[in-house]
Amino acid sequence: MSDRPVPDAAGVDEALLRCADEPIAVPGAIQPHGVLLAVTEPDLDVVIASANATTMFGRPVDALDEVLDDADLDRLRDGLAGDLAEVNPLRVRVGGAEVDVVLHRADGLLLTEWEPVSGAGQAGVAWHRRLPTVLQRLAAATTLDDLTQVLARDVRGLTGFDRVMVYRFDAEWNGEVIAEDRREDLEPFFGLRYPAGDIPAQARALYATNWMRLIPDAGYQRVPLEPAANPLTGRPLDLSGAMLRSVSPVHLEYLANMGVVASMSISLIDRGRLWGLIACHHYAGAHRPSYADRTAAEFLGRTASLLLHTTVAAGERSGVVEVAQRQAQLAAVVGRTPRELAAALTRGEVTALDLLPAGGAAVRINRQLRLLGATPPAERVEPLVRALLAAGAPVTDAVSRAVPGAADLADTASGALVVPVGGDDFLAWFRPETLREVAWAGNPHLSKTTQTEDGPRLSPRRSFDAWSETVRETSVPWQAHEVVAARTLAADLAAAALSRASEDDRLSTALQRTLLLEDLPKVPGFALAARYLPSSEDVVGGDWYDLVPLPGGRVSIVLGDVAGHGLAAAAITAQLRHALRAHLLRASGPGVALDGLNEVIAALLPGEMATAVVVELDPSTGEVVLASAGHLPVLHVTTTGTHLLADGRGPALGLLDSAGYRETRVRLAGEDRLLLFSDGLVERGRDGLAAGLEALRDVVRLAPAEPQALLDAVLTAIDPPDTDDVTLVGIARA
Amino acid sequence: MLFAIERGTVAGRPSLTVRGELDLSTAPVLAKAVDGELTPPPPALVLDLTPTAFMDSSGARELVRIARKAAAEGVELHVIAPHTNGAVRLTIDLLDLGTVVPIVASTAEIPAGREARP
Repeated sequence: MSDRPVPDAAGVDEALLRCADEPIAVPGAIQPHGVLLAVTEPDLDVVIASANATTMFGRPVDALDEVLDDADLDRLRDGLAGDLAEVNPLRVRVGGAEVDVVLHRADGLLLTEWEPVSGAGQAGVAWHRRLPTVLQRLAAATTLDDLTQVLARDVRGLTGFDRVMVYRFDAEWNGEVIAEDRREDLEPFFGLRYPAGDIPAQARALYATNWMRLIPDAGYQRVPLEPAANPLTGRPLDLSGAMLRSVSPVHLEYLANMGVVASMSISLIDRGRLWGLIACHHYAGAHRPSYADRTAAEFLGRTASLLLHTTVAAGERSGVVEVAQRQAQLAAVVGRTPRELAAALTRGEVTALDLLPAGGAAVRINRQLRLLGATPPAERVEPLVRALLAAGAPVTDAVSRAVPGAADLADTASGALVVPVGGDDFLAWFRPETLREVAWAGNPHLSKTTQTEDGPRLSPRRSFDAWSETVRETSVPWQAHEVVAARTLAADLAAAALSRASEDDRLSTALQRTLLLEDLPKVPGFALAARYLPSSEDVVGGDWYDLVPLPGGRVSIVLGDVAGHGLAAAAITAQLRHALRAHLLRASGPGVALDGLNEVIAALLPGEMATAVVVELDPSTGEVVLASAGHLPVLHVTTTGTHLLADGRGPALGLLDSAGYRETRVRLAGEDRLLLFSDGLVERGRDGLAAGLEALRDVVRLAPAEPQALLDAVLTAIDPPDTDDVTLVGIARA
Repeated sequence: MLFAIERGTVAGRPSLTVRGELDLSTAPVLAKAVDGELTPPPPALVLDLTPTAFMDSSGARELVRIARKAAAEGVELHVIAPHTNGAVRLTIDLLDLGTVVPIVASTAEIPAGREARP
């Protein structure tokens, strides 16, 4: 670690790095509650001894045979041939006192740690007899709460600490106390969080391999090893596996600040990764459970570690099953109705919103946006989705962190899950803001450094008073299985859309393509947009729209509708469209052009009927001349209101031999907009045509001025049924 | 509401009352019923759209066809479309169907003095 490049950082960061660099595995010292002798094998000559060895043995020790009787020596030698864990602890007598010797190997030496039995707390035989029951309780726990509560209670019962907490790390390594058993008079720590910095990364790395740490008295004097360097390696002895290892002074200061005198921790490791800790605190004074009791506690921790995965998974499993069921239902819906995907996902018994727990959902298919549940306003949904995709945050529980401009949408979209479907289409789910009270053990944002003569130094937090903060603009996080389900549905949709496209290619004819413009011609100073939605029953409907540039810079914008559906209607539509173009180019105005078109029907297409509206725009002045043959009124949105233009009307085309269409004039000023539409948009509404027109007025009044956005907003809000084709043309000043 | 056509007598004339939605799919049903009534041509026929729930342009086109056929056969046609039935009346007015189809708002507007259906 020490050769890691130290960034040119502020002093605060340097101090933190210094702590992270602290050689906690090779402190060169032990705690004083035992003696460490590092010996050679097989001679058992002492190479390194802790400075307190003379105190325990009454004299310097050069070899183990000086301090062990022959029987103990034989047992030790026997044990060395096998698994050391089976020998530990080796109960021996030293100067008439019982001592537990614990063995492990490191740096080419046998490390023997000698811990007097006297002075250790003993849970007693009774507890160890209960061990099978405790294990049963752990195994029977069906929820994480149960499992960790059993763990905290039984570890405390076994070790006698004043407080035993089960501590879980989050993704950022902040710890949260998720279970606790404590002396009744102590203030609860349950629910408190400890910032990640409380346990540095380097300590966490050690905890992931070493299951147990014990500090019987945080006020101890460290006992140095002699010699300081291992003669075999020239480096300090690796104590990472030693139970007597001396700990970082920063950690001792941290414990002292919490009022903790004795501390023990046991790792909880889920499939190789540090998941949490069993943290034990003692306040009344020094406290040292016996080696046997510590081993039992570690055993409980190891057992719980094995159970963590299945217990956590069981808790999440019911949700997983539900989402999978919804996904299957929706996949079936999509498979049944490849033609009307948007409707299938928004109108059916099971909608996209049902797929996973969310407040709202957005389905944008074939350029049409449909909203379900609580979502941001229609005109904000697409920009938000594009911004999230651009920010590389399609799945987030903190939308405003990825897209700061969306902070005002927190009440509906603090969380978003976006999956593109192909083209500009997408599916999106939204989750509302969840105000989360997070209780910290002390203020995690306070400076961790103090100024000393040697520069800034890390100083553990002094205040551990519960400190809470409210986390805003975040939602319940998206689970991995939910993201998978959403992506699978999107893939199903993309596949269905592809199969639909190939089917359409077979069905639709060049004829229909001639009815619709791929791109609207540009009109200087004006923005135009058009939408055509085919009906579900016929690919080819009777609607058409057109934009005809006229001599002198004016343009005619046409929206028409031939009664009837199918190829016959489409053929008539094509004829009318071209006939009207010819008349528009020749005629003096839209009324005269419609007269000419009406004559075409009377002469050549008897029995047919059509409606059409023609808007002739002079882009240089904004002047509009309008004539309508039985068509629905054009919407004119001005600063004073939304008007259905009723003048300039005449009978539908094909009713009379000679109709004599009148014209009306309006002016497009400022933010004025015109909206032309076919009856499919309004006539099948639940409350009839009149109500449909009223609803449209309401929508248009509040919709954005820009024509593309206007049409999207209208289609989203009106959501016309797919029984008829729907055509919209919007015009506004650019 | 299901589409249905009832034969009856209105204002002393044979009548067809149209229920449900008159659109692309049901207009041919009305065409068949009217053509049946017009063969042989009676002196008069009333088409009552009072209970008609909806009419689209295909329905309107059928009314125009019926009106033209009735005129050609010398049949006195009355189509009842009350102003209270917005779903039908608004479409009729938008298309200006009254230029071709004899529309009345109620039975009262149909002159008296014809015989009932035999």
